[in-house]
Amino acid sequence: MISFIHSFQSEWLKKKGTLAFWLVFVGSFFIPLIFLTRGIIYSADFLAETKSPMFWEVLISRSWQFMAILLLPLGLALATSLITQLEFRNNTWKQLNTTPQSLSVIYWSKFAVIIVMLLQFFLLFHIGIYLSALIPAILHGASDFYQRTVPFSSILKTAALFFVDCLPIVAIQYLVSLQFKNFLVPLSFGIGLLIASLIAVQWKYGYTIPYTYCMYNFFSAKQPKMVPAGVNFHYWAVGYFVGSALLGYFLYFNKKEKG
Amino acid sequence: MTTIQVRNVSHQFSNQEYVLDNINLNVPEGSIYGFLGPNGAGKTTTLRLILGLLKKQKGEIEIFGKPFDSSRIEILSKIGSLIESPSLYGHLTAVNNLKVWQKIYQSPDSRIGEVLALVGLAHTKNKKASQFSLGMKQRLGIAIALLHSPSLLILDEPTNGLDPGGIVEIRELLKQLNQQHGITIIISSHLLGEIEKLVTDVGIINKGKMLFESSLVDLLKRQHQASTIYFDTNDNATALQLIHQQKIEAQIEKERIVVSQLSKQGIAQLNQTLVANNIEVYGIRAVENDLESIFMNLTNN
Repeated sequence: MISFIHSFQSEWLKKKGTLAFWLVFVGSFFIPLIFLTRGIIYSADFLAETKSPMFWEVLISRSWQFMAILLLPLGLALATSLITQLEFRNNTWKQLNTTPQSLSVIYWSKFAVIIVMLLQFFLLFHIGIYLSALIPAILHGASDFYQRTVPFSSILKTAALFFVDCLPIVAIQYLVSLQFKNFLVPLSFGIGLLIASLIAVQWKYGYTIPYTYCMYNFFSAKQPKMVPAGVNFHYWAVGYFVGSALLGYFLYFNKKEKG
Repeated sequence: MTTIQVRNVSHQFSNQEYVLDNINLNVPEGSIYGFLGPNGAGKTTTLRLILGLLKKQKGEIEIFGKPFDSSRIEILSKIGSLIESPSLYGHLTAVNNLKVWQKIYQSPDSRIGEVLALVGLAHTKNKKASQFSLGMKQRLGIAIALLHSPSLLILDEPTNGLDPGGIVEIRELLKQLNQQHGITIIISSHLLGEIEKLVTDVGIINKGKMLFESSLVDLLKRQHQASTIYFDTNDNATALQLIHQQKIEAQIEKERIVVSQLSKQGIAQLNQTLVANNIEVYGIRAVENDLESIFMNLTNN
């Protein structure tokens, strides 16, 4: 366990200043920034919205709409590929694989960094959403805004389900990225599967495609008819996540050339 | 005691021919072992097998007296390595590059400054590794290898890209590490001249086969034995006949008689024979073949 923590610290340091590192910040604040700008410019619309008792629910749903369907899966495919690409691009697999730690520690600590980055993204995204409402409210003196209670439990539940639903993307992208030196392979794979998911989302077996679950999660609240009936896609997400992570580990462990 | 023992190791990539064919290699403890061979001879493949970067197919590898497969982590904790080009994170500074590995090795923070000073990179501050010259990258690679004070250093062509001054500095550094800290070093190169002033032991590999392995002293003996003697006489044709009668191989080149591999006593005896047969000997000169030509002979054969 100690060796895992040391390895995690090392992996965390590596991503400092990388594109993946900035992607978490830029990606998480991108949608909130749009709503912030809108709130500042269109003050009348914003003030009208603050009068609604469902102010937070509407804002959060709007924010997730753009995030869940395209930006989150795309950002995950990109960030995960970038993290593993770090070793290929810098020719560091050979150095990493000759450090005195088990191959399991190397594999899982790198994987854990990506998961923690995802959590970081979720946290920053929600801070961004809060600020996208708070700042216009201060600027416009929206007194109604302060009477709107933040629905913490509902936010947490929504975020938790989105988190579970995007885990298969992380695991599959990680698996593919570890196998190919060329960055374009995992990236094209991710984009290809995402496009396939967008096309297949209305197909009755669309839930078999692992990149559809964030979309289904979003539609389950807005348009339940879009979600395949009688299928718990969250379980499918967990299944794909565990299966892909273990398969990735097996392939990494049995690689003939380790750098 | 032997630090690295490689026994009967063979290796092939997919279904191609063997890149290593029954290799045996013994690196004595405390030595600087020069692992020599032309490009593509199998040096890097051997070193990658020793470090576990390639899956061993045939043979045995023992390091510090323990089989690599069953003691991988323990063995790797005592090895510092630099294989081919240095492994550096281009977006990080030299200090942060070292911190990445320091977290894993858990070496003291002070060690980062020490190794940077040791390789002459203490001044780089906020400069990113991607902005380093090839020589600086090579030095940082060596600093990474030294970070956790290893007992064994495995360096694959570490002077690649270094200017002559840099090569001398690295050579002195390695000598110092070996003599003052007792670190065993295995260093590969395709240039014997580059490392002959450094190594205590030599292994020569070509086309996947070990051609020679012994101490540098043995190689120097071989060099002495392979010396060429030139005789300058007034009648080379008669002198050559007399030499052949002594069952010594010789030939005439550029109006001189060239004799290979003759002991000091042999030279004196041959001189006496020539003089006794009324041959006037104007000069005798022994020229030792340099190590480079011995290396070339071994690898060309």
